[in-house]
Amino acid sequence: MSYPLVRERIADGVYFSSITDRKFKHNRMSVNLVVKLDREKVTDRAVVPFILRQGSKNWSDFTALNKKLCELYGASLDAGIDKLGEYQIIALGVIGVDSRFALEQEDMVRECAALLADILLEPDITNGKFNEKNTELEKQYLLETIDSEINDKRSYAMMRCKDIMCGDESCSIKKYGYREDALRITPQSAAQAYRELMRTVQIEIMFEGCGDPQPACEIFREQFSKIERQPETLVRCVPKQQHGPIRETVERMDVKQGKLVMGFRVEGMNSYEQMNAERLAVALFGGTGNSLLFKNVREKLSLCYYCAARYDRHTGIMMVDSGVEAENAEKARDEILHQLRLMQQGEFEEKDIEETKLFFKTALKATTDSLGAMDSWYLAQILGESRVSPDEEIELSNRVSREDMIAAANAIKLDTVYMLMPNEEQEKEGE
Amino acid sequence: MKQEIVRDERLGEEYLRVEHPSGLTMLLYPMKGFSTSFAMFSTKYGSTDTCFKTAEDEDFVSVPAGVAHYLEHKMFESEDGDAFERYAKTGASANAFTSFDKTSYLFAGSDQFRQSIEILLDFVTDPYFTPETVEKEQGIISQEIRMYDDDPGWRVMFNLLESLYQNNSVKIDIAGTTESIAKIDAPLLYRCYHTFYNLNNMLLTVAGNFEPSEVLEAADRILKKAEPFSVERKTVPEPLDVVRKRVVQHLPVATPMFYIGFKGPDHGERDNFCNMILDEMILDLVTGETTELYKGLYEDGLISGGIAGETMTGRDYLCSMISGESKDPDQVYERICAAFDRAKQDGIDKEEFARVKKSTYGRYLGLFSKPESIASAMTNCYFAGVDVYELVELVANCTQEQLEERLREDFDSERSSLSIVMA
Repeated sequence: MSYPLVRERIADGVYFSSITDRKFKHNRMSVNLVVKLDREKVTDRAVVPFILRQGSKNWSDFTALNKKLCELYGASLDAGIDKLGEYQIIALGVIGVDSRFALEQEDMVRECAALLADILLEPDITNGKFNEKNTELEKQYLLETIDSEINDKRSYAMMRCKDIMCGDESCSIKKYGYREDALRITPQSAAQAYRELMRTVQIEIMFEGCGDPQPACEIFREQFSKIERQPETLVRCVPKQQHGPIRETVERMDVKQGKLVMGFRVEGMNSYEQMNAERLAVALFGGTGNSLLFKNVREKLSLCYYCAARYDRHTGIMMVDSGVEAENAEKARDEILHQLRLMQQGEFEEKDIEETKLFFKTALKATTDSLGAMDSWYLAQILGESRVSPDEEIELSNRVSREDMIAAANAIKLDTVYMLMPNEEQEKEGE
Repeated sequence: MKQEIVRDERLGEEYLRVEHPSGLTMLLYPMKGFSTSFAMFSTKYGSTDTCFKTAEDEDFVSVPAGVAHYLEHKMFESEDGDAFERYAKTGASANAFTSFDKTSYLFAGSDQFRQSIEILLDFVTDPYFTPETVEKEQGIISQEIRMYDDDPGWRVMFNLLESLYQNNSVKIDIAGTTESIAKIDAPLLYRCYHTFYNLNNMLLTVAGNFEPSEVLEAADRILKKAEPFSVERKTVPEPLDVVRKRVVQHLPVATPMFYIGFKGPDHGERDNFCNMILDEMILDLVTGETTELYKGLYEDGLISGGIAGETMTGRDYLCSMISGESKDPDQVYERICAAFDRAKQDGIDKEEFARVKKSTYGRYLGLFSKPESIASAMTNCYFAGVDVYELVELVANCTQEQLEERLREDFDSERSSLSIVMA
């Protein structure tokens, strides 16, 4: 089976990857600056794409830039920060309709690529400082983003569990950085972070869509030829093993529904095949609408509205999270562990395996029908140093045996239990 | 069986519209090159249908809030296992949702499409629940309600709807309340099922990788001819005035969240839907990222995360909402009202109008690029009495005068309200 992604080096440490499929009506391009999470630098780096998004030297006026995007049939230009294992990914991306649908014969690929390259490489920096006003506003926005982690209780509880579990590991460094550092951001510090990023980090440019990627590739090649680069090699992270006693923490907040999060370490994944079997095992355990956790914790015992397991191959961590009534939290925790033990002993049916594989296949096929999902898939392949397409992953999954699944389940070790519970007075009021 | 191919020259695409003898309308949109298919089986029955009258009823009957949603949960059950278990054998990923005016059951699949579509048509047309299983579901739904009670984004929107509407049941939470769902039992669910899950009141849309003949064969096998549908939904007159101008709820959030709403007059289902398209263009023109208003709000540090505008419509309501986070929501509200007032005075700028038309066209084109979004768009359009291709034409043909009329009617500061959630 051929690997459909074409990747080429266009400058020192800069790669352009593309995948084309005529069925789409749009083209998507993203520039990803990939760097190891660094506690000291993470915050200054996090503000950079948002300042860039406000305008470049040539598009110094935010309103004019947005008018330009409107004229490109509402193309969207987005800045974002992602986290993959121990990497922080600073991203800028543009999605626009293909030239086939342009009413005035605009060359959409060229226009969008030129705009994206301009925003990335011609920043509004004068005398070593970013535009002062934009920096101040984006610094405030970053502070708000950092503070708003408490808004969504589900993700907040997951994050707290991971904090406690991974304390000093780099994968627990927050992708948007830290309040105390954000307060210290200045137009100089942000510009310095930008310069360092452009000089030293690995840059992955991704193109997915129905158009011809070549003009975009040439635009980036030319623009990057003007930049002096001394790229540093990315070091892949090694997942940690569980050690010491299981940590248990209860925190209280003004909430109506409690949250239970359990962090597990997945140990000994030495090959892509093993990792693939692990993904299947975790899906069977708690990743589908017919998983062991869904069938037992939600449907059979009615303990919660959701109870799901997720496995992150980049950190070797599996998380189980659930929304529960305070009085049911212990019961839910015991049942989750009970289901895991049963799975480790091979107490699941052949049909569970077949059904999980089918579920997996649908999810992987869906990846190939979405530009955004393809972008994430192939970037993860590049950074995980693997070359597996969604179709090949389906093939791999089909080869996973019952024994592989049991072995995968036995690689899962409980590390941390975290509960976010209503304040005690509230609990009493509710009784 | 009546079949018709509906074509669009602009997109160079087509779909099949089928009136099945059972009474069900089917809109089938095969897409070349795609690997997955997406199907959506919907009934025009949502959370706002709480007062209705069938041919047999003498008077209107009121039911507790949350029945449509409760029913959605229970439909997955059958005498021999639940629908999730059946789907598990085909690898399709299934789900369902209840909105204000419809309930939809859906799946996304790759292989075994024929089996998946059979499961979908079968379980939605074959209700099975007992007093015990209905009672058991209360625990799960209560958890769902509590989860939404803790969701500031959800609360800030519903608090706004409660401020805008005096009588319309759009102000009531879709899942109901823990008190209202306690009144729901099996006979009530059956009654509402038989009232609204009538194939003449339902729609099937499918998009992506599939053969229309597979759907038709499954429909022939499974669907039985439905009785004529004659249900009257009660519409309580809704005054134009809002209930209150401002509401605040305290929840743990970092930055205050706000929803600003403008209540528009009701022009009936189809016109409300078409007006929504135009109103969303107005939201872009007055509050979008290219406006002086936006620039001012951003530069003064009032909306660092941006703002989002949307218009929501149904059988008997239309309102436009602008949401975001701000350290000073009152100031944002004031400026937004002023911007609408100014736009009414000055009229719409010609260049801006052309630009927004172009970006809206691009946005609607996006609807046609994924099986999921096509199936959803076809459903939304059909229930409003609009063809999905009309969407693009509506945007392409709209005039400045049309927008100016909507601006006057639908964006009156007097009929607006502000909802805030803050710590």
